[in-house]
Amino acid sequence: MTTPWRKVLRDFWQERTRSFLVVAAIALGIAAFSAVLSSYAILDRELNQGYLATNPASATLRTDAIDDDLLKAVAANPGVAAAEARRVVAGRIKAGPAQWRSLMLFVVKDYADIRVSTINREGGAWPPGKGEILIERDAFQVANVRIGDAATVKMPNGDFQTLRVTGGVHDVGQAQARMENIVYGYITLETLALLGEQPFLNHLKILVKGDRFDRVHIGSVAEEVRKILEKRGHAVRGTDIPAPGKHPHADLMGMLLLAILSFGLLVLALSGVLVVNLLTALMASQVRQIGMMKAIGGTRGQIASIYLGQALLLGVAAVVAAVPLGMLGARALCRYLAVFLNFDLTSFAVPLWVYALVALVGLAAPLLAAAYPVAKGSGITVWAALADFGVSDRGFGTSAIDRALAGVSGLGRPLLLAIRNSFRRRTRLALTLLTLSVGGLFFMSALNVRASMINTLDHLFASKKFDLSINLGTMYPIDRIERAIAKSPGALRSEGWIATEASVVVAAAEAPATPSSGDGLHGGGGRGGGHAGGADASRDRFPVLGVQPGTNLLKLEISEGRDLRPDDTDALVMNTALAARNPLVKVGQTVALRMGPAESPWRVVGISREAFSPPVGYVSRTYFERASGHVGMANTVRVALDRSDPASIDRFKEDLDRNLEAEGIKALSTQSKKESRFGFDQHMLMIYVFLVVMSVIIGGVGGLGLMTTMSLNVLERRREMGVLRAIGASSRVVWLIVVTEGLAIGAMSFIIAAVIAGPLSRGLGDLLATVMFQSELSFFFDPNGVLIWFVASLALSALASFLPAWNASRFSVREALGFE
Amino acid sequence: MLIELQGLNKTYDTPAGAFIALRGIDLTIEAGEFVAVVGKSGSGKSTLLNMVGGIDRPTSGSVSVGGTAIQGMSENELAIWRGRHVGLVFQFFQLLPTLTVVENVILPMDFCRTFPPAERRKRALSLLDRVGVADQANKLPSALSGGQQQRVAIARALANEPPVILADEPTGNLDSTTAREVLTLFRSLAGGGTTVLIATHERDIASVIDRTIQIADGAVIR
Repeated sequence: MTTPWRKVLRDFWQERTRSFLVVAAIALGIAAFSAVLSSYAILDRELNQGYLATNPASATLRTDAIDDDLLKAVAANPGVAAAEARRVVAGRIKAGPAQWRSLMLFVVKDYADIRVSTINREGGAWPPGKGEILIERDAFQVANVRIGDAATVKMPNGDFQTLRVTGGVHDVGQAQARMENIVYGYITLETLALLGEQPFLNHLKILVKGDRFDRVHIGSVAEEVRKILEKRGHAVRGTDIPAPGKHPHADLMGMLLLAILSFGLLVLALSGVLVVNLLTALMASQVRQIGMMKAIGGTRGQIASIYLGQALLLGVAAVVAAVPLGMLGARALCRYLAVFLNFDLTSFAVPLWVYALVALVGLAAPLLAAAYPVAKGSGITVWAALADFGVSDRGFGTSAIDRALAGVSGLGRPLLLAIRNSFRRRTRLALTLLTLSVGGLFFMSALNVRASMINTLDHLFASKKFDLSINLGTMYPIDRIERAIAKSPGALRSEGWIATEASVVVAAAEAPATPSSGDGLHGGGGRGGGHAGGADASRDRFPVLGVQPGTNLLKLEISEGRDLRPDDTDALVMNTALAARNPLVKVGQTVALRMGPAESPWRVVGISREAFSPPVGYVSRTYFERASGHVGMANTVRVALDRSDPASIDRFKEDLDRNLEAEGIKALSTQSKKESRFGFDQHMLMIYVFLVVMSVIIGGVGGLGLMTTMSLNVLERRREMGVLRAIGASSRVVWLIVVTEGLAIGAMSFIIAAVIAGPLSRGLGDLLATVMFQSELSFFFDPNGVLIWFVASLALSALASFLPAWNASRFSVREALGFE
Repeated sequence: MLIELQGLNKTYDTPAGAFIALRGIDLTIEAGEFVAVVGKSGSGKSTLLNMVGGIDRPTSGSVSVGGTAIQGMSENELAIWRGRHVGLVFQFFQLLPTLTVVENVILPMDFCRTFPPAERRKRALSLLDRVGVADQANKLPSALSGGQQQRVAIARALANEPPVILADEPTGNLDSTTAREVLTLFRSLAGGGTTVLIATHERDIASVIDRTIQIADGAVIR
């Protein structure tokens, strides 16, 4: 080892306390960075491997009853590798005393021969026999059942039936059941017949031959299959082609990881600030050594490399400390996301390129941060360096700030000294304030984003003046429905509405490109009810609600135009998402909607603000009464209750079910406002926790930064401390002066953060909401954030300056004055 | 001749106006001479030495050392040149505190790559032996007395076998016995062919030096 390298090592060791602080800060950044990078590598591999192993369908054609001949004909097509028929039916499930849950039933003809979109056996029996149901592994909790239990299942057209839960499956392609609050069940055709449904399969899933990842290729094969179906007299209601080879939630996962990645880089950048402070101070304190090295023949490059070596050593130590931590973090993150996305991890192996990239970034970051102070410090001439009397850049009192500070009086002398001291090293102060303020910013933003999200949800749910919505599936006379409701105690008001689906009829030239996969988190708005769509059913369909004229149960938050009026017949109010999907349609214009087989013109009278919602249109029920003769009928009901606690709602649901049954009405599904809010709150909580964890880590880096700064300040002012002691300052006073200086910096950072937090959190909240929900937030500033951060920043500053202050108070006069 | 200064002037701009540190210095020093520059504090002794060592630049005039004109060199060229041709000794020793004694002596050889890496340590130890502190080789400078530190600094100055040693107040921080020993050491170096130029306050040095250059208000008096 050459002598310059020995110096690097010894200096590093001599400065070990400060070096350790800086290493800890860099390590935090690298740990976050490597955790996310490894998670990405692991999840990307495992998710797609797991998903591809199920042979996901290249395309699904929705048609009518599929028979074996048709399947054979499709499979005979040279472009088709495999074809299978399935069916998906929505119903309800209830086990024991639990409440009714939405049920999505997947019907498979032969469980022994599943080749497309396979499901994995996960304990219990396989296949399900007649009268038996398998439950998706994540849905057991939602349904509150165990293998061996009996569950009551009800289909739109059928009666209550008891099925036995005989086993579990893992369906990789489905979103997490708990998050969606839905039960996935798997049955045979025989069981479907038992449930009162016609036993046929109508979803044709195909797997293409050749390039399974080529969307164009899949499209052309699907088109050929459609022709085969139509030639044989089957109507094709639509074709779904998911993004090839990509798990439906891969994008969402990518976004989450990107958010954490950018956060890791931010922490790394902030830790760079500490490197700048440390090296600037180190080079300032070694200015004579630098001069001496130049005097004995060291070139600027040789001297710069000694101090860059110092930075490199910081990076090496940080990488060594951070990588194991990052890998632990990656495992935790992967496990969490694997549960969230409902798939299994087979290996945590991290590819070599991840380690290489982490090492590269971890070593480059401190070098980059050190570049400027080192270039500046090593450029000093020998003469200037040897003439330097220790640390003194510029006398205090030469700038306007100094004179303004000197003008501050009325405070105790030691306090004045502390406040003026904090301004002595401006660059260091600015950089320290930067790291501390960013921590505060994130914390306050986290609270503001949370408050804004709650506020937004409050707005959203405030427009819904009902507690329960009951989906009937088909039309029933409203007077019979109301009779059933009147017999159920607890209902305040009720309205019968008509739900259907529509699509905007547009001229071919301006037809918007259909999104590849509109599978958002809450994309299941139209799930389980309404009319079957028209012959042209496509992904552009959206639910339309025909509400009771002059409704008391829906008060839309109108952002443009006006709400529906009792006398409206052809008026349409679009919600935010629907308006966003049809940017060409403006308030005041007429738009043609296709509902069922018919097209009709509608006047757009207003746009309603609805965050986090899929596209919905609101019209008056009057239209349907006139157009389709459903006078006094409804297929969906909204009820306002006098008590909205879960127990009361459950009691009411049971009573209502019984009373509807007595009227000959079969409810397809019921959902309380509480239930639908639950899913939103789950997602919000995730974002909120993420932001708070972020701010705590950044706050930690800020604290380390302040500790470094205070420790440097104390080191450089040893002589002054000695003078203070010499003129009679007690240890306690010296201690107090240093802690006060730290507190002054903390208070300054608080003010900066508090001022910027408002606008920043508004932008951050909107960004997160846009990324995750394609929606905007109703901004709300949470004053608690300011209060909590005020206390936290002072506590952090006190903590960070405690040790340096204690050191300072221990200097003896002789030691301090003799210090060079 | 080894060192030749011609028409050397140095002016510093200070807030209180221009300060003339050297005025019209013409000086030649031969190889192997032991020369003392004497004068009061602020007379220009250190500035004169700095000019010869390439630490500071003249406002006008020329400095030639061993036939090389150094006033036109860049900072980096000067550093490289200095490492090989000039050994510097200071009043406050200026040893690097985190390097051991022997490492301090090796450092100039590492910087200038003058001797093969395998030989550097051996050479450093022999230089320490020559100045009488070989037994301190593996200690840190802070463990040494002032006199010992100055001997190490002299060994360091000799590391690259420079033809010139410049010493600015080398005895200013030492007791009189130690100061005498250090001067004797310089004397023996000059006897070995190295040119030694020292700036000093000491009056009682006539017995060890070859020549005295007296300087006052930036000009050579005698």
